[in-house]
Amino acid sequence: MARVELEGVSKVFSDGTRALDELDLSIPDGEFMVLVGPSGCGKTTALRIVAGLEDASGGVVRIGERVVNDLSPKNRDIAMVFQSYALYPHLSVYDNIAFPLKITKVPKAEIRRRVADVVRMLDLEPYVKRKPRALSGGQRQRVAMGRAIVREPQTFLMDEPLSNLDAKLRVQMRADIKKLQNELGVTTVYVTHDQVEAMTMGDRVAVMRKGKLQQVAPPEELYRWPVNAFVAGFIGSPAMNMLQARVARQNGALEVVAGETRFELSEAMLASHHGLAAYEGKPIVLGIRPESLEDAALANVDGQPRMRGTAELREALGPEVLMHFSVAAEPAITDEVRELAEDVGDDRVVGQLGVPGRAGAQLVGRFSAESRVREGDEIEVAIDARALHFFDAESGLAIYDA
Amino acid sequence: MSATAANPRGARAEATRTRGLRVPRGAAFVLAYLPFLILFGVAPTIYALDLAFTDANGGWVGFHNFVRTYQDFRFLPAFKHILLYTVVWLGALMVFVVGLALLLHGRANRVSSAYRFLFYIPGALAGAAAVVIWLFMLDPTVSPASFLLHHVLGADIFAQSIAPGNLPYIFAMIAFWTGAGAWIVVMYGALNTIPPDLEEAARIDGAGAFTIAFRLKLPLMRKWIAYMLILSFATGTQLFVEPELVQHASFGLVPDTWSANQLAYQIAFRYADFNGAAAIAVDLLALGLVGALIIVTRSGLFRTEDD
Amino acid sequence: MRVPALTLRALILAAFAVFFVAPIVWLILAPTKSDAALVTSSPFSFGSFGNAWRAWHHLDAFSDHIYRRWMTNSLIYSLSATAITLAVSIPAGYGLALGRFPGRKLILSVTLVVMIMPAATLVLPIFLELNALHLIGSMFSVILPFSFFPFGVYLAYIYYSTAIPSELLDAARVDGCGEWSTFRRVALPLAKPVVALVFFFSFVSNWNNFFLPYVVLADSNQYPITVGLSNLLASTPSFNPAVGGGGQSVNIFKPELALATLLAVIPVAIVFLVSQRALVRGMLGGAVKE
Repeated sequence: MARVELEGVSKVFSDGTRALDELDLSIPDGEFMVLVGPSGCGKTTALRIVAGLEDASGGVVRIGERVVNDLSPKNRDIAMVFQSYALYPHLSVYDNIAFPLKITKVPKAEIRRRVADVVRMLDLEPYVKRKPRALSGGQRQRVAMGRAIVREPQTFLMDEPLSNLDAKLRVQMRADIKKLQNELGVTTVYVTHDQVEAMTMGDRVAVMRKGKLQQVAPPEELYRWPVNAFVAGFIGSPAMNMLQARVARQNGALEVVAGETRFELSEAMLASHHGLAAYEGKPIVLGIRPESLEDAALANVDGQPRMRGTAELREALGPEVLMHFSVAAEPAITDEVRELAEDVGDDRVVGQLGVPGRAGAQLVGRFSAESRVREGDEIEVAIDARALHFFDAESGLAIYDA
Repeated sequence: MSATAANPRGARAEATRTRGLRVPRGAAFVLAYLPFLILFGVAPTIYALDLAFTDANGGWVGFHNFVRTYQDFRFLPAFKHILLYTVVWLGALMVFVVGLALLLHGRANRVSSAYRFLFYIPGALAGAAAVVIWLFMLDPTVSPASFLLHHVLGADIFAQSIAPGNLPYIFAMIAFWTGAGAWIVVMYGALNTIPPDLEEAARIDGAGAFTIAFRLKLPLMRKWIAYMLILSFATGTQLFVEPELVQHASFGLVPDTWSANQLAYQIAFRYADFNGAAAIAVDLLALGLVGALIIVTRSGLFRTEDD
Repeated sequence: MRVPALTLRALILAAFAVFFVAPIVWLILAPTKSDAALVTSSPFSFGSFGNAWRAWHHLDAFSDHIYRRWMTNSLIYSLSATAITLAVSIPAGYGLALGRFPGRKLILSVTLVVMIMPAATLVLPIFLELNALHLIGSMFSVILPFSFFPFGVYLAYIYYSTAIPSELLDAARVDGCGEWSTFRRVALPLAKPVVALVFFFSFVSNWNNFFLPYVVLADSNQYPITVGLSNLLASTPSFNPAVGGGGQSVNIFKPELALATLLAVIPVAIVFLVSQRALVRGMLGGAVKE
């Protein structure tokens, strides 16, 4: 049995930085758990603590019912794949994969058998005699995986193993790794900063921020029911549009008002978001995913609220069109939003129109490819009101139930 | 610390509880080195300082040893000799090493490395062998440079070549001959760290080779030149082999206390006065530090450089 | 101004090349000539192998084959000390670069300070120390001080800090290696360039060292070749007119002295040539793009 458990794990470095803050995470046997978050969120630290490469400052780490806090990495029955692969440059592919077995004094015949199995599994047969410097990135990555697999450990730990590969190869390897893990059924903890990897590979995904766990759930749940504005903005690309808004009562019904856009809250919406009632008159953040916006001219559902705006930029992707448009509303600028932007390297005020003299928010929508909207057009955008998100303007927490 | 407190199942934890994470990592690898560092690095330094300030019975005498040796009639000449020698040597290093490195840089690579190899060869012969070779070179009867000896030094026999006035320059030349090659390689390496884009930008801006060398490359080599001067200053003041061998070869023409280190040696072993010798050694150490300080401040070594 | 500048550059470089190399060429040719021929014939002419052979006989005969002993001593001192240096410095550099223990920075700083301190300052105190340890007179009085080579530790430190990513050691630890295993199986095999470098610098420094053996060795039979050469120099009539008229016939003249010097240089030259590639690569390090 190999569940991995982190109970109240904290890590404070010698210079005072608090990398992890009371992390509680429970990973059942055989699960593929992805730790995701912007740089500095503590995901790699958490992984290294599970590996035993770092000491936890507080809390308990368990692997398969054993408390492993005091065990060195080699005694934890784990295998790790590093971001840089960390292949031994002076050893051939065969020797790299056989290395951990040699160290633990596995009999020669068995080493040969197990290495041969792994080499076959990963299609590395033509390369067994080569040294790492004679391999391509993808091949090196497979050797790194092979070295981990051959140990038949209780747990796999992977530290951004795909980030050094080019985009196409990454897509391919994502599938390979997932398939492999399904076959082997080994509990896996996988760290990445790429939310697409997280969503496609994880059985469950743990979103982290500044050392704290934000939410851990299956990908769907993270996408549909984010627990706060950070998770909402982190998951999904292009990121969720965030607007300043408030809840107002008009003619006895609750409405959402964002700038000049206002629309009534449907009963279904109210039913699943009781908590909104308490925010009457108070400022909130309205979140709308790009995929919930459509060119009104093509919208085929009646009664969808509309937004008016000006088309700024059209990016034709083939199967759809990303439309950047401005609306007369204020963008929501919270800590989370700012942090997410900085993580991508954008230190401008997020969502604000880059045009001097023009106030307003810049939104992104995913329109169907048939949309005829051109840059500069005044447009009407249909909003899928079933998929709206609301957040407390101060705490960033999502508003669901009271 | 952590785990044991929170875990009720701690008792079932593995018997292979290792201290792997807590033991200072890597300490064992340094263990074998420490006795050497202490015995031949730290202890002699402290011992030298101790000897310099005490007398033969171990009693504290303050600066007495320093004053005493200073008053020795051979003290000032010895220090004058090594200072002159060091200045000439450093000057030669600064001008020629830097100059040669600049000349070699940025040209045909194979030719350049052939030259660097040639310049470096004498470096393997440092010490006694180099001096003997140059004793031959300074003997007008056999030297290939007898023409130069005659016209530059006015020497027609060996004894004239090694006339006392010539010695600082001769020693500087020997030191240069053995030491320049290595420093040229270092400077060349330093030049190679300059991004070629900078040079191209300068060329586009109209700079000729000369200007590029002086305005662009030279300032960027400041740090390395300073290192070279600091290390050479310290080793220069410690001159021993060369004058000692010349003294053997000349039998009496050159005194056996020509350099400060030679004086220290004689004081230690001829007069069994280790305290006095230590005082001179400490003088030399201080001299090296002062030189380093001057070089550092004059060259702005520790000033943050803008690339 | 183009052409004159180019030829000026070529002239300067060639002149310096001559300066650096000519004395060595002279040295190689000198033993092939007789003492008189050295004076009369051109400095770069070749004499005969017969002359060289004769010079060797004279040299060998000097003081009951002491030259051979000197060469052997140098070999023993240099190789033993270098062996100890390698065994001590490479792990030390590794520990300092990739370890995490209290005092690490202190040891490194002390090493740096001692490194720039010229050895000559420390020789007298070392003599007194060795005397107190009753080592004066044994070959360890030379070998042990020679083995202390802080520059070697520094080189290993620089190498390990830059060439070995710490993730590699993490991988080894996860794969089951303890500290020693990690060093032996991963760090050490990858240290070949720096081992060659340290070997070179240590050997050359030991071989050429004059001051320390001069101070600590009293018996001329124990001299390394550097001190031996000075002894030879003092005994020859060539530069030293007082000798040779003293009744004993010392057949050490210029050709013999030149031969003595040449032979003394050969072992270092061999090590030098052999280490060339590692030297260039190592010294210029990763900072240089050739």
